[in-house]
Amino acid sequence: MSSQGPFADLGFVAAVARKDLLQELRSRAVTVATLFFSSITLMVLAFAVGRESALMQQAGPGALWVALAFAGVISAAQSYQSDLAEAAYEQLLIYPIPRATIYLGKLIANWLTMLALGLVLLPIGSVLFALPLTPGLPLLVATVALGTLGFALIATFYAALTANLQARESLLPVLMFPVVVPILLAAVRSTDAVTRLGNAALAGDWLQLLAGFDLVYLVVCTAIFHFVVDE
Amino acid sequence: MNTRTARRPLWLSALGLATLILFGVGAILALAVSPPDINQGDLIRIMYAHVSVAWVCFLAVGMTALFGALYLWRGRPMDDVWSVASAEAALFFGALTIIGGMTYSKPTLGVFWDWDAKLTLTALLVTLLVGFFIVRGLVDDPQRRGRVSAVIGLVTLASLPFNYLAAEWFRTLHPAKSINLDGSGITMEAAFLGILLFNVAAAALAFAYFLFERVRLGRLEVQAEASEDDPPPTGEAVHV
Repeated sequence: MSSQGPFADLGFVAAVARKDLLQELRSRAVTVATLFFSSITLMVLAFAVGRESALMQQAGPGALWVALAFAGVISAAQSYQSDLAEAAYEQLLIYPIPRATIYLGKLIANWLTMLALGLVLLPIGSVLFALPLTPGLPLLVATVALGTLGFALIATFYAALTANLQARESLLPVLMFPVVVPILLAAVRSTDAVTRLGNAALAGDWLQLLAGFDLVYLVVCTAIFHFVVDE
Repeated sequence: MNTRTARRPLWLSALGLATLILFGVGAILALAVSPPDINQGDLIRIMYAHVSVAWVCFLAVGMTALFGALYLWRGRPMDDVWSVASAEAALFFGALTIIGGMTYSKPTLGVFWDWDAKLTLTALLVTLLVGFFIVRGLVDDPQRRGRVSAVIGLVTLASLPFNYLAAEWFRTLHPAKSINLDGSGITMEAAFLGILLFNVAAAALAFAYFLFERVRLGRLEVQAEASEDDPPPTGEAVHV
C-alpha cells in the first residue's frame, strides 16, 4: 500500500496511536471517569470482602484486576465512540492504509491508557487491601504491563466489532470477558504471588502464560481485524 | 429448484432414522450391557453420554471456526450457513456437556460444580457461543453478519487452549509443567472403551444429522433472503 518502504505502516500505527492519545490527553474524559470508577469499584469490593486483614490481603489482587478490567472495557469502547460521534471513524477507514494499522494504533493507545490506570490503581489497592508492593516491584509492573496488554488486545478488537451495534455497552463485556478469563486468572495469580506470597518463581510461570496469550492474540487479532470493520 | 430444496431428501430422513437406531443401541449398551465400574459402580453409565457429547461439542466448535474461515476467504453464503449450523450444534452439545458433567460430578465428588478444568472450559465456551448468537441477531446485513460471526468463531477456537490451561492451573493454583490434554493416566478397559466409542459414534451421527438438516433450512433462508432484495447477493465480501 505504502510507497515509503516496509516501515511506513509503523508510521501509520504511530499516527493513529498519537491521535487517540492526544485526544484523550486534551479531553481527559475517559481517564478521569475510569480512574474514579475503578477506585470506587475497589472500595466497593473492599467493603464486600469485610474487615479481616488476612482475607483482605487474599482478595486484594482479584479486586484490583476486576476494577482494572471494568475500567478497561469502558475506555476501549470510548476510543471508538469518540471517533464515531464526529464521523471521524469513516474518514479513518477511507485512508489507503491497511486496516490492521488502525487496530494496532488504537491498541497502543488503549494499552497505554490502561497501563497508566493500572499503575495508579496499584498503590490505591495496596493501601486499601494492605498489600506490600515494594518486594517484587519489577515483577508487579511486568504483570500489569502484560495483563493490561492482553485486556487491550481483546477489548480493542471487540470494541470495533460492537461499535455500531445496539446494546453495545452490555455486549462488549459479554463478548470479551469469556476470552480474557485466562488473562484475569494469570494476572491475579501473578499479583498474588508477588505481593502476598513473595514467590517470584511462581509469578514467572504465570507471566509466561500472559506473554503467550498476548503473542497469540496479537497475531490473530491483527490478522482478522479488517473483517471486523465496516465498509 | 425451490420445491426440490424445500423437500427433505430421502437420504437425510434415512440418516435421521439411522441416528435414532444407533442412539437407542448406544443407550442399551450403556445402561444394560456395560458392566458396572469397580470404583464408580453404575455411575460409569453417565460417563458414556457425557464424554460422547463433550467430544462432539468440541468437534462442532472446530467446524464453526473452519467454515467461518472459509466464509472470510471465499465469501460464499453457504459457508456461513454451515458455520452457524455447527455453532448451534456446539451450543446444544455444550449445554448437554455441562448438564451431564454436573450430573456426573454430584454423586462422584459430592458437588455440582468443583471448577474442574474441562467443565469450566465448556462453561466459558457456552458463554462465547451465546455471544456469537447475540451478535448475529443484531446485524441485519447478511455479509457483515457472516463476517462478524466468522471472526467470533475464530476467536472462540483460539481461546480454547488458553481457557483450558487457565482453568486447569486455577484449580491446582499452580501452573503445571506438563499437560495431558487427553487425560492420559486414566486407563480404560476394552469393554468400557468399546461402548464409549459406540456412543461417541451415535453422538457424532446425531451431530451430522442436525448439521445437514440445519444446513438444508439455512439454504432455504439464504434463498428467501436473496429473493427479498434484488439484485441477489453473489460471492463477495472482498477486502484488501
